Parts: sequence; structure tokens; C-alpha cells
Amino acid sequence: MVLNIALLTGLVLFSALAVLARDLIKSAISLAVSSLLLGIVFFRMNAPFAGVFEISVVAGLITVLFILTIALTKSEGEVGESKAALWAFPIFFVVFIVIDALVMKGLMNKVPALPGAAESGAFGDVLWKQRTFDLIGQLAVILAGVFAVLALFRKRDNDNE
Amino acid sequence: MNSTWLLYMFFAVGLIGIGIYALLTMKNLIKLFIGIEVIGKGVSLALLATGFAKGNILLAQSLVVTFIVVEVCMVATALALIINITKHTKSLDVRKLTKLRG
Amino acid sequence: MIFLYVGLPLIVAAILPLVGRLSKKFLPDILGNGVFLFLFAYAVTGGRSLIGAGPLTRTLNWFGEPLGIQLALDGFSLFMLATVALISLCVGLFSIDYMEHYGAKANYYSLLLMMVAGMNGLLLVTDLFQIYLFLEVAAVASYALVAFGREHEELEAAFKYLMLSAVASAAILLAVAVLFGMTGGVSFAVVSAGLRALDAKAAVGLVTALFLFGFGLKAALIPFHAWLPDAHPSAPAPISAILSGLLIKVSGVYAMTRVFFGVFGLTPALSQVLMWMGAVSIVVAALLALGQKDMKRMLAYSSISQVGYVVLGIGIGTPLGIAGGLFHLLNHAVAKSLLFLNSGSVQQATGTRNLDEMGGLAKRMPVTATTNLVGSLSIAGIPPLGGFWSKLLIIMALLQSRQGLLAVVAVLASVLTLWYYLIIQRRAFFGKLNERWAGIKEAPFWMAAATIVLAVLCLAFGVLFSSVISTWIQPAADVLAKGMGM
Repeated sequence: MVLNIALLTGLVLFSALAVLARDLIKSAISLAVSSLLLGIVFFRMNAPFAGVFEISVVAGLITVLFILTIALTKSEGEVGESKAALWAFPIFFVVFIVIDALVMKGLMNKVPALPGAAESGAFGDVLWKQRTFDLIGQLAVILAGVFAVLALFRKRDNDNE
Repeated sequence: MNSTWLLYMFFAVGLIGIGIYALLTMKNLIKLFIGIEVIGKGVSLALLATGFAKGNILLAQSLVVTFIVVEVCMVATALALIINITKHTKSLDVRKLTKLRG
Repeated sequence: MIFLYVGLPLIVAAILPLVGRLSKKFLPDILGNGVFLFLFAYAVTGGRSLIGAGPLTRTLNWFGEPLGIQLALDGFSLFMLATVALISLCVGLFSIDYMEHYGAKANYYSLLLMMVAGMNGLLLVTDLFQIYLFLEVAAVASYALVAFGREHEELEAAFKYLMLSAVASAAILLAVAVLFGMTGGVSFAVVSAGLRALDAKAAVGLVTALFLFGFGLKAALIPFHAWLPDAHPSAPAPISAILSGLLIKVSGVYAMTRVFFGVFGLTPALSQVLMWMGAVSIVVAALLALGQKDMKRMLAYSSISQVGYVVLGIGIGTPLGIAGGLFHLLNHAVAKSLLFLNSGSVQQATGTRNLDEMGGLAKRMPVTATTNLVGSLSIAGIPPLGGFWSKLLIIMALLQSRQGLLAVVAVLASVLTLWYYLIIQRRAFFGKLNERWAGIKEAPFWMAAATIVLAVLCLAFGVLFSSVISTWIQPAADVLAKGMGM
């Protein structure tokens, strides 16, 4: 439990770093580290598949995409972030966390829930047999994404606007 | 069950808060999108923590896996948009995107 | 069989890139429009018999073993499926000519088919998470379609749209997570049963607020509308048409209605919130539309305003109100697509969207001018066109529920609507022909044909309003009326 809390705190801190870092590459790396920590948290919650996916896809693939984009847009110069944003963050964060904690405390016994039903089968069964339409949906969103990227990067030779 | 769930939700909402802060204050297109990514982390933590707390970890895992797939496609599309934008404005500054007003 | 609604566009979209290598324009046109035509024909002919005995739930089998695909078809989803198929067909036909100068037609049709597949999927699922999933499918396709021309304006609009839409999706998913936590499942049946067993006012309130934000942004209700006036004008005209005519209604209004009526049940408090959000959208958007110079921007604000009418009607909660809201959804889908397609014709002929630069186009583009007039009058609520009847139903329902103030607002906003549409009609089409446009031609065949079909439908829905209502709207309204109150 203590380890979980440490991991979660690390996750939050690295995410904050990812947002605040001035250098985009450092930002992307922080994001990758926080994804890694989130993956470990998933593992500790008995969710190995989600953990693997989080680490390989979010910490891996998405980070690669970000770094690719950063490299392709590097020539465009620096964007001056306002210093105020950097200094205002701790104040905002502390206030937000305090409100967050109070709300959670307040909800302590106020969120009624039905007792969970026992789960049977393996993850494969659940994903392939019970949530099959989700897989169709995944296929659809992947196709949509592929066509989107193809459309946005197509060669300009047909355009005679 | 309730207090564990609320503990995880506390962190999840914290992440969402960081993401929202990024969306409100950052001026770099890529940073703005990193804000969206952080919100996504918060949401996936919320989903999985809920499943963990209810004992429905398998269902929660399939939801999170599907969600991650959707995230990737959205990231790919958004970054493609950003790269195209920089070809026009030669900058990653969101303040250059002011052609549309009103 | 209803799986075809998702499966067919998906498969055709997947093979289109290969087809596109063989034939750059002809085959993609045929395949794309063929799919839309088939889906429309199927919805109109076979659909009603499927639900004749009540809502239909299909669990698919794969060689005898049940797959986890559960699709549900009832009056409401069939009505929406038919609307989606109709509008996408007209948009597809229009695109045959309009997308010529954008190039990459195969890619365009793939994206369009994916958007339709996503919307159809959203209409057929029985699960909260899958609503989110197919909503994202349609959304990802729409981001690319808005930015299709890759000009600065389009990219800017698409990026802002993406950012706001992603936050809305996150809100929706967070709400789903909380409901999952409370009830242990994400399907409609499990969640609604669970909520009935529990008594969770505060938590349900929180979830409702999240859904209102998420779906409200997708539907572009005020105050979550900021993305629409940029995104819809910048997109290519057929995409503006399908976004305004379908996407905001399917991923916004339908999803919200299905969740609120089917899972929560419409409580009086929720009814009030929906009605007032609708009313605010109607008025504020109509006022904002008045100050616009860009034709498509005016139409975009009008979309926000008319969706307000739909939400207002549905929010009333009485059978009459729901019927009025749904009928207005149909009328607006048909008329607004028509108007956006016309703006595309105008833009293609003159190269501008600025009303001040136009003038007297009716002399050179009579078909476009006439269809535009029909569409405008329908939305403004002039008899005997469709929009008149749907607005009348909404106003009658308001009076029946003793919401006199809202009824007055609805009527006055209608006058405003008429005013700004007449501005478009006058400045763009009537009056003296601006010298610059002396040499322009009427819109090409398919573009004109699509708009004529839509204009005829505007008229038909108005003249035949009672049969339209009894065969299509009433079954849909009945489904919703069953989900009233907790």
C-alpha cells in the first residue's frame, strides 16, 4: 500500500514535470516515466494486461510519436511560455489537491455501490468473447486514425486549388 | 472498498487537474497536447481503480486497453495536425492560431 | 443483419485505398455512395419490420458460438439510422463533384465511411463504454475531415475542435467510471437496474453534470459551443453539412438522450436543466448569428440555435415535446445540410463566403437560390415546410406543460431565425447581380441533384408531416417516453 502511494505520487509529480518542463524532449521523457509508473501501478492492481499495454503503448509508442513530432518541428524555434504559469503552478496544485482531498473525504460514505459480482474466466475470454464489439470499435478507430494520418500527409500533386 | 477507491480517485482527479492546468496556461501546441495525455492517464487510472475496487478487474482491463488504443489514434491524428500547422505558421505557438475569431 | 450498419462502411473504407489506386475517382464515388444508398434503402424498407414486435436485440454468432456483440434496434435508433443514411447519401452525392478539386477522393470516402460507421455504431450499442468508443471513432474521422484541405484556417479549426472534443470525451469516460463503480457494470441494463436499486442523489448529480458537459460539448450547446463556429465553416462544405446535420446530433443529442432517458430516467430537475440549456442556446446563438458576415459562420451559429430547439423539445419530457424535438432534429438535419451544401456551391462558384461580396447570385444560380430559400424557410419555421410543424409541436408542448415563458422565447427566436436567414438570402442571392459574378455557372449535376433532393424532402416532410410523424417519429418518441421518471 505504501509502495502504491509512492508510485502514485511519483506518477503525479512526473506528469507535472511533463507539463512544466521548458525543453520539449524532457517533457516527453517525463511523460514516458509517468506512464511507466502508471504501468507498474496497474501491475500491482492485478491488472497485468493493462500494465503491459500502458508501458508498451503509452510509454513506448506514444513517446516515440511525440519525439518524432518534436524532431520534425524543431526548426520552428522556441515558444516562450509565460513565467507566471510556472510559478503559479505550485499554488494552483496545492489548492487543487486540498480541495480534491476534501471532496474525496466528503464522499467517503456517500457514494453507494452495489457489491461486486464475482468475475470468472481469463482476460482473453473477457476481451474476445464478452467485449467483442469493443474489438470492432478498436479496429474502427485504428482505421479512422490511419486514414486521418494518410489524409493529412498526402502528397500535394493532385491539389490544383 | 470505498476508501481504497477514493484514494485512487484522489490521484486520478489530481492528474486530471494537472492536465487542465496545462490546457489553460500552456502556449506550445505540443505542451497543450501533453495536457490532454495527462488527463487521459487520470481517466485510465480512474477506470482501472474502479474495477480493482469492485473486483471486476478483467472488465476494467479490457476497457482500459480499448481506451489506450483510442488514445493512440487520437495522438497520431493530433500530432499530424500539429505538424501540418507548423508548416503554415512556422511556429509551435498557439497564439499564432488566431485567424478565426468571433 | 443490423451489424451491416457498422460492418459494411468499415469494410468498404478498408478496401478503398486499394481501389483508389486503380481508379482515382470513379470507383471511390460508386463504392462510397453505394454503401450509403444501401444503408438508406435497408433502413427505410426492412427496418420497420424488424422492430415491429418491439425493440430488437441481436446477439451475433460466429459458427454457433455467441460473440460478445449485442446490438439493439428500437424506434429511436432506427429513426436515427434512417436519418444518418439519408443525409450521408446526399452528402456523398454532393461530394462527387465538390471534392474534385481537393483530390484524394478515395481517402476522403474512407474517412466519410468511417465517420458513418462510428455514428451507426453509436446508435446500435447497448453499453455506455461503447457509446464513448464509437463516438471517438466518428470524432477521429471528423478531425481529419475538417482539416482535409490542409489550409491554415482548416487546420486551426480542426486543432481547436480536437482539443475541446478530447476534454469532453474524458468527462464522459470519467462519468462512466463512476457509474461502473456504483453499479458494477457498464451496460445500460446493468447500470439502470443498479441505479434503481441504489439511492444516490449526489453521485448521480455529479455523473449527470459530467455527461451534460461531455455530450453538451459534442452537441455544441451554449456554453460549450466554442469549437463549432470555427470548425463547421472551415471544413469542406459536404463535411460542414454532415457535421451540422448529423454528428452533433448523433454524438451529442442522441447519446445524451439515450443515456438520460434509458439509464437515469428523466427527473423533473433534469428536465428543467435541459429545457433551459436548450432555451439559452436558441437565443444566444441566434443573436450571435446576426452579426456574422461569413455565410457558413452564420449557418454554424444557426446550428447551435436549432439544436437548442431539439434539446428543449426533448427536455420537456412529454410525448408531444419529445416528438416535436425529434421531428425538428430530422427537419434540421435535412435543411441545414441543404444550406451548407449550397454554401459549398456558392463558394465553388465565387470563391468567397463573405456575404458582403456576393449579390444577385440567383440570376446565375437559380437552382441553388431556390433550394436555399426552401431550406431557410423550413428552418425558420414557415408553413407548409417541415420546420414549421416541428417548431409548432415544441411550442404546443411548452404551452401544455405551462412553460409559457419558454414558449414565448421559442416563438421570438423563430422570428430572429427568419430574419437572419432572409439576410443570407437577400445578400447572397437576391438583389442586383454583382459585376464580378457575371460569368459564374450553376452548380454541377451531382451537387445540384443532392440539394434538390433535400429541398424536396423539406417540402415533403412539411406537407406529409402527419404520416412522417406517425411512422417514424412516434415509435421513437414512444421508446423515450418509457424512460420517464425514476
